[in-house]
This record gives sequence, C-alpha cells and structure tokens, in this order.
Amino acid sequence: MSFNIEEGRYVILGSIDGLLATLGIILGVSVVSASNSIVVSAGFGGAIALALTNGLGSYLAESTIEHGKLVKTEKSLLRKLNNTYVESQSKKRIVKDALTHGGASFLASLVPLAPWILGVGSAFVSGFLSLITLVALGVYSGYISKQNYIMSVAKMVGLGTLIIITVELLRIVHLV
Amino acid sequence: MSQIKRLVLDVLKPHEPTNVEVASAIGDLQDVDGVNLSLYEVDQQTENVKITVEGPNVNYDLVQQTIENLGGVVHSVDEIIAGKKLVEEEETLHDRG
Repeated sequence: MSFNIEEGRYVILGSIDGLLATLGIILGVSVVSASNSIVVSAGFGGAIALALTNGLGSYLAESTIEHGKLVKTEKSLLRKLNNTYVESQSKKRIVKDALTHGGASFLASLVPLAPWILGVGSAFVSGFLSLITLVALGVYSGYISKQNYIMSVAKMVGLGTLIIITVELLRIVHLV
Repeated sequence: MSQIKRLVLDVLKPHEPTNVEVASAIGDLQDVDGVNLSLYEVDQQTENVKITVEGPNVNYDLVQQTIENLGGVVHSVDEIIAGKKLVEEEETLHDRG
C-alpha cells in the first residue's frame, strides 16, 4: 500500500494518537502495578479501542466528505455518478483512509507496549522508544511537507514531550 | 449499417479521472486506432474536452458508455465520418467568404 500526501495525514494522525495515548496508559498503570500482564492488558485494550475509534471515525468522516464532493460534481455535470469509476474510486479512498488511520494507530501503539510484551518493560524504555518513533515521524512529516527536516523533528518531539510531561504531572498530582 | 471511421465528441467530465486515463480507456476499446483528447475549458468542478476517435469501425455506444462510466457526459457529436473511407469536410465559397 503506497501513501500519497493526503494519506500521509492519516499516518501521522493515527501514529501520534496510538503512540502517545498508549504511552499515557502505560505510564498511568505502571505506577499502581508493576505486573507485566496488567500493563500489557491495559495497553492492548487501549490500543485496540483507539484503532477502532480512529478507523471508524475516519470512515464516517470521509464518507460524509466524499459524498458531499460527489453530489457537488453531480450537480455540475447534471447527472448521477452511481455505479461509475468515479464513485468506485471515492469508495476505495474512504476505505483506504479508514484502514490507514486505524492501522497506523494500532501499529504505533505497539511501540511503547513492546518492551512490556517482551517482559523487559519499564516506563523509561517505553518513553525512549516513543521518542525515537516521534523522531521518525518528524522525518516522515518533513519528507511529505518538503520542509526542513530538523524543524519537523523538533516540532514532533517537542509536542510529544509536552504531552508526556503533562501526563506525568497529572499522575504525580493524583498520587499526592 | 456503415462503419464509423471518425467521431468528434464534445464531452463534459469531472477532474478525476484524469484526461490521460480517459484517453487511454477509449484507446483500449476494440476497433479504435487512435484518440485525440484536447482540453478547452476548465472550471472548479469540471472540464470541457474535445475527443476525436478514429478506427476502422468505431462503436459509438461503447465509446459513450466508456465516457459515462468514467463520469463524463457527451454534450454533442460534433463530427462523424462514416463509410468505407475518411471523407474530410470541403470548404465552400460560403465558408471562405
């Protein structure tokens, strides 16, 4: 499956969602329990829920937008586009976007979970792997947008770190 | 019935599929030797194109079906050459005037 610029949006959206939300779950659960199985269970539950909501959400959103575009085009052509190549391509785009968004979310969720699945889990290792993934996403973002790679990586890592710090602060506040 | 040797169609189509895809699809039809597609008007949603199709026995219904399947509409058939050979339009005194 190749990705164009439009689909890159869902790769980035889904990946950030899956990565940081799952990391947040891991950081939260690992405070109250050091048990691998509990962290993996909670993390997987979150990963699957995120993947499904992202995928279904995209499906519904894209269906709405694509249908609106088709109706607009039909109006200009003064004809219906049912059962045409145009309609079939529109449907393919909807499915591809939904699978990309949900799939990217699930795959990125596995990054912070991986050390726990392998039995060597720690909040630090999960955080470090997530950071590396954010760097990769920053490079990808720079590639798609044809902007400065360093700026893209800095933005991605900076925002991701901000989210992690916020989660940690909320965790500490809750414990206190 | 006479065999159609050339068709010139005025077609309104959406931006997608591209003109390259439309020309290729018509060019792939049976008994079509060549296609000339030229763009002469564009707006936000649609494009007006002139499509010239030549072949030993062009099937108009098939060409129309292909264009419609790709989201286009045949506005008019501007020129048809049918018969055993290609006959070009002759200029009369009236046209030269």
